[in-house]
Amino acid sequence: MKPANRIMKQVLRGGTAAIAAMIIGGASLGYAQESVSVRATLLTGGVPVDDPSAAVWSSAPPATFPMSPQVHWQNRIQEVTVKDVIVRALHDGTQVAVLVEYTDPTQDPDDAAALEFMVGDKKAHFAHGQPMLQVEGGPVNIWFWKNKTGKAIDMSAKGFGTLKPQEHQDVTAKGVYSNGTWKVVFARKLLTGHADEDVQITAGQFMSISFAVWDGRKDAVGELVEKGSQKAVSSWWYFRADAPPDYSGYMYAAIAAVLGLGFQFVLIRKLKKGQ
Amino acid sequence: MGALGKPIILMVAMYAFLKFGLPNIPGSAPLPSSLIFLYLLLTAGGIFMFKTLSGESKDAFWDPIRRFLTGENIGGLQALRYGVFILFPLLVGWQTYGSTAVSDLPPTESRTIHPAPPGEYTGLSNPVPKTPENIMQGKGFYAAYCSPCHGGNFDGKGPAARGFIPAPANFADPTTIAMLQESYLFWRIKKGGVGLPIEGAPWKSAMPRWEVELPDEWIWKIILGEYDGAHQSPRTWE
Repeated sequence: MKPANRIMKQVLRGGTAAIAAMIIGGASLGYAQESVSVRATLLTGGVPVDDPSAAVWSSAPPATFPMSPQVHWQNRIQEVTVKDVIVRALHDGTQVAVLVEYTDPTQDPDDAAALEFMVGDKKAHFAHGQPMLQVEGGPVNIWFWKNKTGKAIDMSAKGFGTLKPQEHQDVTAKGVYSNGTWKVVFARKLLTGHADEDVQITAGQFMSISFAVWDGRKDAVGELVEKGSQKAVSSWWYFRADAPPDYSGYMYAAIAAVLGLGFQFVLIRKLKKGQ
Repeated sequence: MGALGKPIILMVAMYAFLKFGLPNIPGSAPLPSSLIFLYLLLTAGGIFMFKTLSGESKDAFWDPIRRFLTGENIGGLQALRYGVFILFPLLVGWQTYGSTAVSDLPPTESRTIHPAPPGEYTGLSNPVPKTPENIMQGKGFYAAYCSPCHGGNFDGKGPAARGFIPAPANFADPTTIAMLQESYLFWRIKKGGVGLPIEGAPWKSAMPRWEVELPDEWIWKIILGEYDGAHQSPRTWE
């Protein structure tokens, strides 16, 4: 049975190579995208809604997003101070907190930052949900923080010039400046009950988020360099609050493995019987 | 060389060619693993059909497989046989886990980069004569209004470009304005990101709606300046 053995060895070598190839090929599908989303890590305790320096922030994965000057609409600006924002988020099933961190060489009363979310199912243009000509877009919900006031304003917009504070103020914010870096934490309940103007955050679902930052520095004649529409903006990115862990995948895997084992036994029995 | 030797060599050679050979052919690119898997599946299917064409070749093909699975006179391969029996259910379980696990990746976005313009913007010809003066003026407007994003070198790498997705178009790239008509550029400059149709989803383009700020004549001059500066020519009706 020497030749048979040789054949078998070839079969196995080939099979091992094929399986290895499948594993390598399959594995490479896994890490295709960069940090295109903010993931709000689920906590069991409360979220640090007013503490941008809390140690628990280190348990949230940071995501970095590039910023551009707002050139889309008048009045535009061609250069901005903040080039990137680093964003982390945490939630406990009730409250969500988003930490925005960025480099700003000077602390100014007019320093400000904002988060923007799409509201509802309709896509919004990233620039304040600017109305589109051929597509019906949705509104946006903006959480705006300013150093001077030290608090957040919960706002709505559907296009430039339509921005206005909401009747229901649901957002809090706290900024801390240290060593040339702003850390601003925004917080709100995941759900507010005002679904037509507030983003409603459901764990496990991806929603759209974008960022804006104003450097409140003044120029030589005392004019604010960045104000209003003259700000640093990001494109739309994704935000998701982590769902509680789901172990059903392991159960399905175990069932499949048992079925695979059973299939083997039946197959070999049949082969042995010469069927 | 047994009945299974050749097929295995063929499969390995096919894999090696798809994975390492094909990407090195000029003008080609690395294949996604899902496509390699599909090609290998087709190859295996072809081999299977070929090998089972006649009763004789079918027996020669199946017999070693049957003998391995039943453990009939395979001597030292017995241990490997048990290894395969352990590995197979584990692989099935692993695949099942992979396909049922909730994806951590955000929704995929497929964007039509050059969606069709509305009817009134097809086939327009540039009313501004292509004179050195007009081109120069167009380049001046370009420098003032377009270059912050599209770049002084017409390469899409302006200082304001970094945060925008999609990235501002690189006009020097032969797959942008070189394959479009002037009429198309006129539409995209005039209406900007908010003028994109349904198939231009997710409509993230930060392109301004320049019709609000610039007269048509300036836009046509900018188009002249862009083609000249990027060393490209508009696509024409052949």
